[in-house]
Formats: sequence, structure tokens, C-alpha cells
Amino acid sequence: MPLNLNFLNAGRRENALLETGDFTAGLVDSVDVPNFELPAVANPVEFLHHQTKEAESCRINIAKGTTTLAFKYQGGVIVCVDSRATAGSYIASGTVKKVIEINPYLLGTMAGGAADCSYWERELGRRCRLYELRNKERISVAAASKLLCNMVLGYKGMGLSMGTMVTGWDKTGPGLVYVDSDGQRLKADLFSVGSGSTYAYGILDNGYHFDMSEEEALELGRRAIYHAGCRDAYSGNTINVYSVKETGWVFKGNYDIAKLHWELYAPEQ
Amino acid sequence: MDYNGAAIVAMKGKNCVAIASDRRFGVQAQTVSTNFKKIFEVHPQLYYGLGGLATDVLTLSEIFEYKLSMYKLREGRDISPKTFANLAASTLYERRFGPWFVEPVIAGLEKDGTPFVCGMDLIGALNFATDFIVSGTAKEQLYGMAESLWEPDLGPEDLFEIISQTLLNAQDRDALSGWGGVVTVITPEGATTRYLKSRMD
Amino acid sequence: METLLGIVGKDYTLLAADAVSARSIVVMKRGEDKSRPLNDHNLMVFTGEPGDAVNFAEFIQANLKLYEIRNATPLSTKAIASYTRRELADSLRSRNSYAVNLLIGGVDPKTKTPELYWMDYLGAMVKVNHGAHGYAAYFCSSVFDRHWKADMSLDEGIALLQKCLHELRTRLVVNQSVFIVKVVDSNGIREIQV
Repeated sequence: MPLNLNFLNAGRRENALLETGDFTAGLVDSVDVPNFELPAVANPVEFLHHQTKEAESCRINIAKGTTTLAFKYQGGVIVCVDSRATAGSYIASGTVKKVIEINPYLLGTMAGGAADCSYWERELGRRCRLYELRNKERISVAAASKLLCNMVLGYKGMGLSMGTMVTGWDKTGPGLVYVDSDGQRLKADLFSVGSGSTYAYGILDNGYHFDMSEEEALELGRRAIYHAGCRDAYSGNTINVYSVKETGWVFKGNYDIAKLHWELYAPEQ
Repeated sequence: MDYNGAAIVAMKGKNCVAIASDRRFGVQAQTVSTNFKKIFEVHPQLYYGLGGLATDVLTLSEIFEYKLSMYKLREGRDISPKTFANLAASTLYERRFGPWFVEPVIAGLEKDGTPFVCGMDLIGALNFATDFIVSGTAKEQLYGMAESLWEPDLGPEDLFEIISQTLLNAQDRDALSGWGGVVTVITPEGATTRYLKSRMD
Repeated sequence: METLLGIVGKDYTLLAADAVSARSIVVMKRGEDKSRPLNDHNLMVFTGEPGDAVNFAEFIQANLKLYEIRNATPLSTKAIASYTRRELADSLRSRNSYAVNLLIGGVDPKTKTPELYWMDYLGAMVKVNHGAHGYAAYFCSSVFDRHWKADMSLDEGIALLQKCLHELRTRLVVNQSVFIVKVVDSNGIREIQV
């Protein structure tokens, strides 16, 4: 059988994970890599510049205000996000789910374009399931994040907007990888993404140490989002908290920032 | 007009008027302070609010203070709401070609106790309303709330409740305003100012 | 890329400014003092357009001095801030305006009440308990919100400032290693090492 090098064309028509021919045409379509109709020109990236470049007046603007964070500690990974969606200065929703439950062992966070994040992370979930069926074992966090990275890389420069943290637990232990629509992929112990991320970092960097208890870790994450919500106009409303452990992720609760402020944090000061 | 953020509303009631604003001072997305004054007293029967660029809110309030002091010194009496509205409008029109980026809202009681509210655009086009006036980045939200909550002939306590709910629910849908609220209700007996607890995000 | 930080404590105001003078990608000088004393108990720290900043600060400094000599009366922090704000606001609508961001901190020598005013180049001003200018504001505002308390002793104030500087050193792309920190209290203005 000739060597299939189609995987080099990331995000395009061919699927690197499938040997073509083994399936019927219809089935291939249903498990194929998504491919989107691109402008029928020689160079779509350049053609789309007037919509994707920061300075252009007719740029397609997508909701971008967010604060999300995730960090590793001795007990696993903590994931905290806010729930505000804005369109310009209008608060379009205060009950957005910015943690995407890819499968019982993987979580993705949402910053940037909501549609981009939810679509590609749903697609990632599907690919992770296929991997599981083929290989009879769960995909690693590293591999899953690489899949996501490769998929969005195929549309680089065409206006995708996504800043996500993929977290989970695999054979190597807890995993945390940052992936964005530029194709950047980073592994570290602590990330925060979004317009309020700098405020969250201010709290995290001063309170973080690897050996803290789960209780402390959950409180630190929640507190960081709370402070970001208070200072950043485009973040706020409620906080969703998740904890990732060996047995998979656990939803730890939803906290209203106004309630936290008046009942817990403001009286402290 | 949407650099610093504001939510200001004034309403007529029965023998009373009310004016309310948020308390945020921010630079675009960044909240710098949550005790910024946007409503100013002329005398106990007349208040005004300024929504827009913060530097102009401060400068214009200083200009008004000067002009109003001069008026009182010259005339030996308090200015009437209607006269102040015209004074404010002509002050704004003085800068027709380099305007103050501010939309004032005026609320007061005339000498005979008649409620008076009015607003104007940034170059002084007056709008004498029979019901309510809104200004700031949360203008659309305030219109929506006020249109559905306001009714004629509200007493001072009901008016306080209606204007507070209008303000709080409007600013909760605007990213650039909020972080507290302040309401002043003016009755013939005098003005009472109350601070509102609100979402702080 | 320039940083200003200010903290109000029990009976003092703490002001810090980065001491880097940069032009394009070049550091022209380390150890530049971006502050000017306005009188015995009031201090201004400033950043902004090179040239503008120092020029404006010294203009304010000189005019306040003149006023105090003419009227033989020291000005309060609030009066100084109001005057400075109006100069900035008027300059904004002139043909060439000053682009300067400021923090003005001071203490009333009689009541020992500290005050801090935050002011931007547009002439918007607010009285604050803690303030920051530049990219530092994005990192330090939450640190202030979390750790600032009313009536902090000088040691506590310095500890809070160190938390901010630590955060800037870990997260801000540009490493501003040198800061000039000054304390204003009823004894006057003095520089401290942090």
C-alpha cells in the first residue's frame, strides 16, 4: 500500500487518521475532517484580509471578552471561567457555559469566538472518540490538544478566533495545554486566557503554590475570576468551577459574582 | 461617548422628580474607580447629571458651578430648571465645532412645584420630556426599562423604586456602566439621596 | 510601557514609578526619576510622551510654587490635583496638548490624612485608595483589590507594593527592573529602597 501523506495537508479534505478505501463513500463523508467552503480564489488568506485584519473597518468582530483560567496543583487541575458574553458593550448573556465537556476525561475552555470554540472542541470530542474506538485506549491530553491545534492551523489567517486550554487526566497524570487559533500550543502549570486574564494572573501568581489542598486551589481559582470580573468590563456574571482528577472531571459549582461580592468578599474588607 | 461609560436617567412623578446614575469610572474595559460623581446639585430643587467623556463631565460641572454662582450673585435668587436648561444648552452650543462629549440630563421642580425633566445632545439640542430622559452608554437599555416600568403620577417612594429598578436592570446589561448606583428624589420638601447596592462586575 | 503605582496607607501615600527612560527599542537611561515634589507634602509621579511629561510636571511645579509664594499658603492635595486636572483638560483642547498620565499623592501635615489622585492625559480624575497607570494597571489592579486594606502601616504598604512589582516582573513582557519609590507623610517626602 502506498504511503498516505495526506495528513500533511492539515485541516484540508483528506483525513490523516483514516485509510481511505476501507469504508463506503457515505461513511467516509460522515467521519471525514470537516472542510469548509473557502473563497474560490488562488489565495483565500489574502482574500479574507479585509475581514480578518485588526485595522480593517469591515472586520468581522466576534464576542471576545472573557476570563478563563486553569492550573495544575498536587491534586490535579482546577478550571475556572466566567459566564459573560458581550456584543460590543452590550451584555448579550450572563449564563454562557465556557467550559466545554469534551468527554468525561477532557475539558476545554472557551475564549475568543464562541462559535469557533464550541465547534472545534465538539469536533475534537468526536475525533477523540474515534481514536478511542480504533486504539482501545483513551487519547492523551497532549495528543488531543495536538489534534485541535492541527485542525485550526489549517484555517490559519482566515479569521478563526480561539484561545483554549485543554485539560484532562491520562496515563502520564494531569494534563494542561494551551492552544490558540494562531496555532500556538503550550504546556505549563498555569494559564489564564481572555480580556480579564491579566487581572486573574495578578491573583494567581501571588497565591499559587503547587502543594496546596484542593480546597485552597478551588478558592484561588474562584477568587481570581472574581477579581477579573470586578475590574474587566467584559468579564463577569457567574463563575463555573471544575476540578480534574484521576477519575475524570467534576463540576464543582456555579457562583454568582454579585453574591460572592456582597456575602463573602466585600465584608472581608 | 463610550470611552468611560455611564448610565443616567431622570423621571417625572406626581409633584416630584428623580434622577439616578451609576458610579463607575473606567477607561474602556478597565474599571478604575467605583465612586465617580455624575450627578450634581444646583440647589435642593434642581439636579443635573452628565454622561459621556469623564474629563468633560468634570470640566463642564466646574463651568456650570461658575456660571450658576454668577447667576445667583447677579440675580439674588436660585435659577429655575427651565432657565438652567437653556443655560446648559447654550453652554454646549458655544462649542458647536469642538463639542464637549457630554449629554446632560436635568431634573427639578419649578417654583410652583411642577415637575421638570429635560435632556439634550452634546451640542445642546433640548428635549423637554413629559415622562423620562436617559443618557450614557446604557441609553438603549434604560429606554427599554423606563418604557416598560414608568407610569404617570408616581409618588416619591414609588418613583424611587421605579427609577432604581430601571437603572439597576439597565446597567446589568451594559458592560461599561454599573458598579453601584445613586438616586436622588426631589420633592417640594427637599431632596433625598440614596446609594444603591448593585452587581460589582 | 511605563508604570506608575500608588497606595494610600494609614498616614502616608506611597508612590512608585519605573526608572527606565526608553526611546523606541533602546533604553536610554536607567535611574530616571519620574517624580516631582509639588510642595513639602505633595508629590507627583508622571509618565507620557517624552518631553511632554517632564515639561508639564515642571510647569505645574513652578506654578504651584508661584501661587504659594504669592498667597503665602500651602495648597492641599485636592487643590493641587484640581488645578493640575484643569490645566490638563484645557490643554487637551488646545493645538498641541500634553499627553501625560499622573498620580498625585500627598498628606495633610496637620490631620495626617493621606490622599491619592489618579489622572489620565484627557484630564479625567478620581480620588482613589490605590491606583496604577500603564500596562501595570492590568496586572496590579486585582492585586490591590485583593490585598489593600484601610489603615495599612508603612511596612504593610511596602509589602503590597512588592507583591505588585513581583507580579510585573513575572508577567509583563518588558522587564522594568528599576523602580523609584517615594513615601509622603507628615515628615515630608523621602525615597525608600524596595
